[in-house]
Amino acid sequence: MSFKPSDLYLLAPEISVMLLALVVMAVDLFTKKRIVIAAISLVGLIVPAAFTIAQAITFSGTKTAFFGMLVVDQYSLFFQVIFLIIAAVIVLASYDYIGKYVHADGEFYALLLFSVVGMMFMASTGELITIYIALELTSFPLYVMAGLIRSDTKSSEAAVKYVLLGAMSSAILLYGFALLYGLTGTTDLQGLAQTFKGFSNGNLMVIVADVLIIAGFGFKISAVPFHMWAPDIYEGAPTPATAFFSVGSKAAGFAALIRVLIYGGLWQVDLVPLVVVLSIVAALTMTLGNFVAAVQTNIKRMMAYSSIAQAGYILVGVVGTLSMAPKSPAAAATGIAAVLFFILVYVVTNLGAFSGIIALANLTGGEKIDDFRGLWKRAPLLSVGTALCLLSLAGIPPVAGFFSKVFIFTAAWQLGQQWLVVVALLNSIVSIVYYGRVIKVMFFDEPQKEGRLVTSMSLATSITLASASLLVLTVIVQLVLNAANPAAFHLFASLTGR
Amino acid sequence: MSIFTYDLTWILLLPVLGALAIYVVPKKWSEWSKWVALAFSAATFVLSLYIFFRILNVHGITGFGDLNNLADQVKLPWINFNAGSVHFTVQYFLGVDGLSLPMVVLNALLTMLAVIGGWNKKRFKDYLALILLLEAGVMGVFMALDIFFFFLMWEVELAPMFILIGVWGSDAIKHGVPGRIYSAWKFLLYTFFGSVFMLAGFILLYFTMGSSDMQYLSHHLIGGTTTILGIGISLQLLTFLLVFMAFAVKIPMFPFHTWLPDAHTDAPTEVSVLLAGVLLKMGAYGLIRFCFTLFPGGLGQFAGWLAVIAVINILYGAAICLVQKDMKKLIAYSSVSHMGIILLGVAAAAGAGNGMFQGALAGGDQAFRQVALTGATLQMFSHGIITGMLFFCVGVVYDLAHTREIAVFGGIAKRMPMLGTLFTFAAMASLGLPGLAGFVAEYMVFTSSFRVWTIPTILAVFTMILTAGYLLWMIKRVFFGPFNQKWDWMPDVSRRELIPLLALAGLVVFVGVYPAPLIDMISSSITPIIHTAVTAMK
Repeated sequence: MSFKPSDLYLLAPEISVMLLALVVMAVDLFTKKRIVIAAISLVGLIVPAAFTIAQAITFSGTKTAFFGMLVVDQYSLFFQVIFLIIAAVIVLASYDYIGKYVHADGEFYALLLFSVVGMMFMASTGELITIYIALELTSFPLYVMAGLIRSDTKSSEAAVKYVLLGAMSSAILLYGFALLYGLTGTTDLQGLAQTFKGFSNGNLMVIVADVLIIAGFGFKISAVPFHMWAPDIYEGAPTPATAFFSVGSKAAGFAALIRVLIYGGLWQVDLVPLVVVLSIVAALTMTLGNFVAAVQTNIKRMMAYSSIAQAGYILVGVVGTLSMAPKSPAAAATGIAAVLFFILVYVVTNLGAFSGIIALANLTGGEKIDDFRGLWKRAPLLSVGTALCLLSLAGIPPVAGFFSKVFIFTAAWQLGQQWLVVVALLNSIVSIVYYGRVIKVMFFDEPQKEGRLVTSMSLATSITLASASLLVLTVIVQLVLNAANPAAFHLFASLTGR
Repeated sequence: MSIFTYDLTWILLLPVLGALAIYVVPKKWSEWSKWVALAFSAATFVLSLYIFFRILNVHGITGFGDLNNLADQVKLPWINFNAGSVHFTVQYFLGVDGLSLPMVVLNALLTMLAVIGGWNKKRFKDYLALILLLEAGVMGVFMALDIFFFFLMWEVELAPMFILIGVWGSDAIKHGVPGRIYSAWKFLLYTFFGSVFMLAGFILLYFTMGSSDMQYLSHHLIGGTTTILGIGISLQLLTFLLVFMAFAVKIPMFPFHTWLPDAHTDAPTEVSVLLAGVLLKMGAYGLIRFCFTLFPGGLGQFAGWLAVIAVINILYGAAICLVQKDMKKLIAYSSVSHMGIILLGVAAAAGAGNGMFQGALAGGDQAFRQVALTGATLQMFSHGIITGMLFFCVGVVYDLAHTREIAVFGGIAKRMPMLGTLFTFAAMASLGLPGLAGFVAEYMVFTSSFRVWTIPTILAVFTMILTAGYLLWMIKRVFFGPFNQKWDWMPDVSRRELIPLLALAGLVVFVGVYPAPLIDMISSSITPIIHTAVTAMK
């Protein structure tokens, strides 16, 4: 293993996003026109997207470079596509909001892109220290973005809270990584996987490391009991930044968590405690998220708890995979395929729903659920789009969210986690109540004011794109599965001899 | 893409495209979007007729096939998700036979008439687009032959209906909220409640049998027993009860019928027409297509109860009609009563009987079941056109007078002779006057069910007197009798409103006078279902 110039091609998507971020910062020095910066960001994203798609089509199997620090496989490429979608939609959706509330255009877009680079690395590294650095590269821009509304104390409060809690969770995660290094003498995930093969069960240090890693990533994916930050920060931060936290940070957290647990072979030692801890976390996350979401009056807080609940559903799939991994990696991989599908749909759905909330904030200045009253009469497109996204979150057919739930629950059931699936199904019923309430308020209540609301072009585009893709995803479910299946498979490939 | 070369795909796709096309029409010419909606609904109707005549030309009237010999079908793989040891597959499987094609044509026709009826609604763009989406969902239900695809389509229909009632419904206060909101939620919750059970039943069926394909499942009936809370129950009966729950709510079967009067009274006219005309038929169709075909054993065990509930539906629906003050509510309860006849037909076709006419049964067992089920299917069709017509008539009165209370009218036939005639005609058809569509189906059901369920049938037949009573009494109080001067200004039915009424009236007469083609078409598709069921029950 040595450095080859051609390895740079494997890095091309990350490098091009990084360069784009630098360009955005530089251009911001010379022009204050928001449209220019946003346009550069949006158009510039085509380059990394082209690289990623080219790699996804031409590569098969796992490619590593830089001494195992960089791992490019279908799994990392699947997530990179997700992150690029997120970046593009956030650029679109934030355009008016930034102009109205934030007044820091270049900063916002550059921070967004830097954070996306970090996320892309989180999905595509095979080494603990790089994962940690990628995590920090993801998080620091997020902390700043949370506090970007300088005139609003709530925003500053959110930023401070986010920094403090984020630093603490990073420390916990790092402690876990340190224990892994101490146990095995390597930070390379493949090395870990090989070393753990020889370990016997009942190793207390491994269990402690597992718990610390779950706690550290649990913060990123806002799993209970590490979720406390989410509602406050979601509420205080600028709404486009909130949208970005709710999808980007969570998807990246899951990308790295699954990478470490499965690619790093942690499941080979002391699987039972790991599964027990994770399933308790999953059950708590779903239940608390859904029940507390049901009593919220602020839409952003409701979405915060809803995103906690959704993380719980994803964890159900992860638990299912882990519990089956020793018996049949091939079967267990189906759980990860379901998780990947779920994350993609969740990302698209939440982006759409948040675009709706941003549009509302731009138009009326309100973020209470009651501010949605009679929206259907004043902005039909906005309300239909948002309603579709909410239906998808609730898992109502025929929107794509239905399939993501069907897949993840079928997989978990088949992989032996029946009780978790029952808990998840009961939770899904609860979730219909609060998603349904927002829809009811939008469509059936009388508006407080009369008059048509005109949604801006960029927001209308992002909502239409998101909600239409939810219907399109229903039709092309199989295409996404065809991409998710090999991605899930590659994670196990190194251990099962391909 | 080969999927677009099938005409059945276009039956599903045309209404959706129409709904999108409505919004493409520029604001300046927004009046034209009505014509766009009409064009697409008409195209769907023409296409459904084309399919009918094409099959008729090739195979003749008895050649519409059955589930396993579909006259027209498209079957493509859609989803194939491998979860551990099982493969979760869903097929894009559409097909029509003599059972479903009449429903497809009826749906296309009623939607087209509903578009004409909803011409002058406020926010007509959204209204017409939702009606077209509703049509697509219902089409999917009538054509889907993969249980999961069917379930998806079953849910697709929910959202447009929910919004149609909730936004365009009546504002009369009910339980502290506007009636449209109360009824829309009631509709949603009841239907959703039922479909959760259906999904559970389908999942149980799928994981027991390993296939979601109707054709496969009809050859390999689910069997065996399972234990729930210590009580042994055959899987046939269990899956039947689970799946039937959704259909029972939709039909609606007593005691799940209470959403229907609310939904009908608060829905706008055209939505009521579609609700009574095709949406209720989804339940009856599901009962025959799914429950009868896949769970004949379970249905056979339940048939006695079904006969009893059918009589309750018929009797209770009719009795409650007598005390209604609202015209629409009266017709809604008459639907409950008439849908009971379908249930009675199904119960007769599935039942073992009470032994009174065992001799007659032994000879023509299969024939009697066949007639009963054909009658039930025919009743689906004729109730659709008759009740559609009744709701259109009430709609005309309501649009002018803004009230449907029977007591405030009187003698208005003086001012609206045309509507009076048509309304009376529709009522006559509804009460089963020989020569009109309602009679044929009821006669078929009653004559055959008499041999199987004697007492229930006697009760049901005598209820027809009540039916005549409440319908004629309503006609008398609204259109005849002393003229109420308050309504002196009322104009007669307009030309646009006349189109749907005359179209449906023509159909009522045709089916009443010459039902043979429809009976042949349905009957040939029913034969294999009965055959499998009889074999399975023995």
